[in-house]
Amino acid sequence: MKDDVCIRDLEKDFGGFKAVNKLSLRVKHGEIYGLLGPNGAGKTTVIKILCGLLRPSSGEAYVLDTKVPDPRTASRIGYMPQELAMYRGLTVHENLAFYGEVFGLSKQQIDTREQALLKLIDLQDSRDTLVDQLSGGMQHRTSLACALLHEPQLLFLDEPTVGVDPDLRASFWQYFEELRDSGITILITTHYMDEARHCDRIGFMREGRLIAEGSPQELLELTHTDSLEDAFLSYSRTGGSA
Amino acid sequence: MKVSRVFAVTKRALRDIKNDRRTRVLIFVAPLLVMILFGVAFTGNVKDVRVIVVNNDTAAASSSLSDKIISNFDTSTLNVAYSNSESDAIGQVQNGSAYAVIAFPSTFTQSVEARASGQTSIPQENVTVSILADKSNVNVANPIIAAVNNAVVQTTQGQGHQPPVSVDASNAIYGANAQFIDTFVPGIVSVAVWQITMLLTLIAFVGERTSGTLSRLLASPLKESELVAGYAVAFGAIGAAQSAVLLAVAVLLFHITIVGNVFLSFGVIALLAIVAEGLGILLSSFARREAQAVQFLPFVVLPAFLLSGVFWPIEAIPEWLQPVSYLLPTTYAVEAVRSVNLRGWGLDKIYPDVVALLIFAGVFLVLATILLRRRE
Ligand SMILES: Nc1ncnc2c1ncn2[C@@H]1O[C@H](COP(=O)(O)OP(=O)(O)OP(=O)(O)O)[C@@H](O)[C@H]1O
Ligand SMILES: [Mg+2]
Repeated sequence: MKDDVCIRDLEKDFGGFKAVNKLSLRVKHGEIYGLLGPNGAGKTTVIKILCGLLRPSSGEAYVLDTKVPDPRTASRIGYMPQELAMYRGLTVHENLAFYGEVFGLSKQQIDTREQALLKLIDLQDSRDTLVDQLSGGMQHRTSLACALLHEPQLLFLDEPTVGVDPDLRASFWQYFEELRDSGITILITTHYMDEARHCDRIGFMREGRLIAEGSPQELLELTHTDSLEDAFLSYSRTGGSA
Repeated sequence: MKVSRVFAVTKRALRDIKNDRRTRVLIFVAPLLVMILFGVAFTGNVKDVRVIVVNNDTAAASSSLSDKIISNFDTSTLNVAYSNSESDAIGQVQNGSAYAVIAFPSTFTQSVEARASGQTSIPQENVTVSILADKSNVNVANPIIAAVNNAVVQTTQGQGHQPPVSVDASNAIYGANAQFIDTFVPGIVSVAVWQITMLLTLIAFVGERTSGTLSRLLASPLKESELVAGYAVAFGAIGAAQSAVLLAVAVLLFHITIVGNVFLSFGVIALLAIVAEGLGILLSSFARREAQAVQFLPFVVLPAFLLSGVFWPIEAIPEWLQPVSYLLPTTYAVEAVRSVNLRGWGLDKIYPDVVALLIFAGVFLVLATILLRRRE
């Protein structure tokens, strides 16, 4: 199986501070890869490098067989930043339409996709509401819709379910699994351990390094724990020596 | 560069403004208020200045030259009162109830006639109208002096005495009947558009950076140059619309003179707005929050207000400071719009100013694009 993301010895220095340290990992085509780790572990930094927003200090990263940063991959990836990344003074529809136009979608395509995505994020009634007037969780839901609009092959989702209620989170993960089954690759970060078990593989980051990797089941066995929550705590504390 | 993506950005930026009432007020109402305030308060003509005439001339009323001069005073400028005592009159200026004492010497008529008939031995002071003005405000003192001079010239000409030099400024090459407001409007339009576009750009781009929308756009197929161009089109259009509204109101309210092609002046202002946008993007990268960005405004706006010829010509600015004026894009916009409105000049004559603005725009837009393209 070919790899959609391939990172080798990646490092990112922020003025002497190594946010990413000799990191190597691969995300296979058609899998959901969960990047876990405590705050400040370097997850967002890795995703930003893969999206071409930051330059690696050393090492290299390939996205869809193209070395990053390279603008040619942009149209095939979908990125949901950790920040809201929505225009608060615009309505949900105006935001979606704008991002759609940026990705070169026709008006018709935008309309069709918008309908489907508003249904997914359960905001059909808020199409013409200003983003500013939505609740925090609703705002995050629209941000996810913006990342999915152009039907990318590869998704980078940085904490897509923050502030989203459990009911909707479950339907999001169901949708992510549907996407995966249709051949889309997803790299996702989250702090909700109950979600992480939906991932095909999990990479555990701490202080810029990848300290463990495997399927949820494998990680439980490695740490001799019953839940990913406990596995997380074990890795956070011991730095992977467990 | 793909036009559809440029226009997507333009449309987005305009929607932001369309959806926000406060921004619309800022763009269209605030500059109008400023212009109207200045226009009403500051017509440029000093009116009704109280002056005290002390006429010591002993000549008979029928032949008195001093009386004739006084009767020729422009009574809309001067509000004339009389006094027999010079010290009393000076007292009134000192306590602020009048601006000047205008005194005629006792042998005035007699001396002027004697001089006219060739007697050169008459002392100068006997033929001098003395003006003791409160010069603490030159904007008042100068019109008083001008009014007295005018009256003297008018009277002596009527008398058949030829003054040594005759001055006639009643015919104008450009701007016949131009008032202060006519000269001022091009200035206020330029400075208002400069300031507001700068503010809009700073807020928009600090917002793009902090909200993460910029990250999202830079990870999309949108090119940095398309983002810069899209905003340029939006803010250029807003600048042109602002100048159209301001000019329309100035014509309706102040009947300002416009002899040139207004669309040319809108184009100049649009170009100025694009310069402001380019510089605004550059400045926005030095700010982490909107509050920090707004702190740049005085540094960008005050020099434009004071040094680009809005109130007084560049020639009136100390020579060592003039280079600063020529570094301000607003200087060229003010000059170009004024030439179009009042002199009726076309592109063939204002092109040096337009080229200067194009150079500013080119440099700032390219630098802004390079800055956005930079990756940490
Ligand atoms: N632009 C930057 N300049 C300096 N330091 C930075 C910069 N961006 C991130 N860092 C630092 O790099 C480290 C990793 O940050 P990163 O955002 O990647 O963490 P994260 O794993 O996504 O954390 P979280 O779970 O809180 O989102 C942090 O210590 C952060 O302070
Ligand atoms: Mg993060």
